[in-house]
Order: sequence, then structure tokens, then C-alpha cells
Amino acid sequence: MSRALQKYLDHVMAYANRKQEDAIKIRTELEDHLMQKIADLEAQGLPREDAIFQAIEDHGTARTVGYGLRKGFALLDVRTEGTARGFVAIGPRAIGVIAFGGVAVGLFAFGGFAIGAIAFGWLAVAALISCGGISLAPMGAALGLAVLGRIAIGMVAGGGLAVGLWVPWAVDRVSLLGGDDGLQFLQHFRTFQSSVAVVVIISWLFIISPFLTGVMGAIESSEHQRIEKADPKLAQ
Amino acid sequence: MKLLRKQMLDGNVQTMLLAILEAGPSYGYAIVKDLNTRAKGILQLGEGTIYPVLHRMEEKKLISASWRNAENGRERKYYRLTAKGRRALTANCQQWRLLTSVMKEVLGPAAKRSPEVELKGAAI
Repeated sequence: MSRALQKYLDHVMAYANRKQEDAIKIRTELEDHLMQKIADLEAQGLPREDAIFQAIEDHGTARTVGYGLRKGFALLDVRTEGTARGFVAIGPRAIGVIAFGGVAVGLFAFGGFAIGAIAFGWLAVAALISCGGISLAPMGAALGLAVLGRIAIGMVAGGGLAVGLWVPWAVDRVSLLGGDDGLQFLQHFRTFQSSVAVVVIISWLFIISPFLTGVMGAIESSEHQRIEKADPKLAQ
Repeated sequence: MKLLRKQMLDGNVQTMLLAILEAGPSYGYAIVKDLNTRAKGILQLGEGTIYPVLHRMEEKKLISASWRNAENGRERKYYRLTAKGRRALTANCQQWRLLTSVMKEVLGPAAKRSPEVELKGAAI
């Protein structure tokens, strides 16, 4: 088999990232397809080299074909293009239990636009805790610049207990511009439940979230290294 | 020459593959060739992109697969329609007929006013 064909299949399989036993079968199937295509093109009068490159071109880019061949919902799915789906999903769009991406949907979601039980992003929508630029958690705690939540802490805050510079709407409010004594807002955290909520929020912000972000970054970097190992040009 | 938009095809490639396999067991390359012949060149599909669809169909048990030795000595994976796949094909064909008939009714004169176009192809 030609080197160009070998290389193409290597790239496809690097992106497919399947277990060895599955990878062998998939590769055999694709190889059979490409060899037949080359034979057909040669029979039509194309020189062998041209036939090989034509067959590869007609087959599709290694990344498109390889990503398509990934497992439906893997333990870990890291992609540089398209939607990653997995228990841990990392990609431009990510759907998973732990999702990390431009658009992230998951139990724990981190991203530009994040939706989850716990979400962290520029626009974060969460059931329990949301944190970000615009942060919405109607039934939980929201932190950020503009926030809405049962406990809402931000520049502009609204909801149940809302703490902010401007509190346009709240059941119980502390507006730092509205004439309240800033220190008085501490009285709102005297109850046990409020204290627990504060501990959870602080832990999330300063311990759990940085830790998970670091782990996700490390996983993403190792995926890039794996692809780069298959071919340095692919990682560029 | 107009291009058939990819979004128009989404979800229908599976039905096309089921229809091709209805004729009998076949393998990847032959399926692609058959698809291109039936589509009369209107579809320009990345040939490798049918494998993820075939594999998903296999997982859903719409088709089954077996390995056999081909005439050239290489191992080849053959796909065949299952009973579940046949039922899915029938259901999808019914849906397709319903859609085309409702589109015809709803578009009515608007469809007649639009000029006939020569389709160039659609990338899958």
C-alpha cells in the first residue's frame, strides 16, 4: 500500500481514537474501500499516483471521517472541531456529564455558554450554582456581573436574597448603592442554610472550579499531543 | 447550477442507505457507488462519511454486519438489512411521502412560480 494512503489512514484513526480491536476492523474496512476506489480509477485510465490522491480526496478529510468514527458516547471525548459527546466532553461544543467548551451542556458545564446543574461561563444557566458574566440560577445560587438567582451576588442582582451594587428586584435585598449599610448584608448569612450556601459557593469558586479547569486543560493538552504524535501537521 | 443544501439531507442519509441495502447485502464501496448511481450525480458525498452512519445503524440494529473474504483475498465487511431496519425503512418512506405531499399542498402556486433548477450536488 502507498505511503500516502497509510498516512491518511493513520490520521483518520488518530482522530477516531478507538480501542485497538475496533481500530483494526475499521481500518481494514476503510482500506478495502480505498483500494477498490484506486483500482476503479486506474481502470478509468488515471495513473496510480493520481488515483491514490483522488481516492483520498473523495473519501473526505481525515478529521471529518475520524471524528465521525468515534464512539457514540465515550468516557472521554476531546475534539478540536464539532460537538464532543462523552462522560467528560471537551470541544467547541461539548455535551457530557462534565462538559468543557464554547457551548457546554452538562451536569458540570464550563464554557462561553454553559448550561448545567453547575455552570461556569460568560453566559451561565444552572439549576444549582451558576457563575459568570450573565449568570442565571432561578432555583440556586448565581454569581457574576448580572445575576438572577435564589441567592444572587453580583454587580446587578435580582432574585431571592440579592446582593449587588444595583438590585432591581429581590425578595430580600442588600444594595450597596441603595443606602443600606454594606456590613449589614452579613446578617443575611447568619442562618445555617445561608452559611452552607456561602461555603459551597466559595469552595466552588476558589477550589473546585480552578481544579476542574486545570484537569480539563491538561486533558485537552494531552489530546493535542496525541494527535501531534500521529502527525505534527495535524495539530497545527 | 444550484447546490442542494446539506441541511435538506440531514437525517435522510440513513433512509437512503436502508433503501440501498433493501436490494441485498452489500459493502461500503459498493453502497457508495450504488448511492451515486441512484442519485445521478446530485449527491457529492465524502465517501468516508457513510461509515459512521453505517456503524451507528449497526449499533441501532437496523443493519447487521459480517466479515467475508473478497475475491481479491482481502477481508470485507458486508452489511445486510435486519427486520428492524426494514420496518424503519417502511416508516421513513411513509414519512417522506407525507412530507412531499404536504409540501406540494402548502407551497402550491409558489412552487410552480419558482424556476426549475439544475441541481449540482450536495456535500454530506
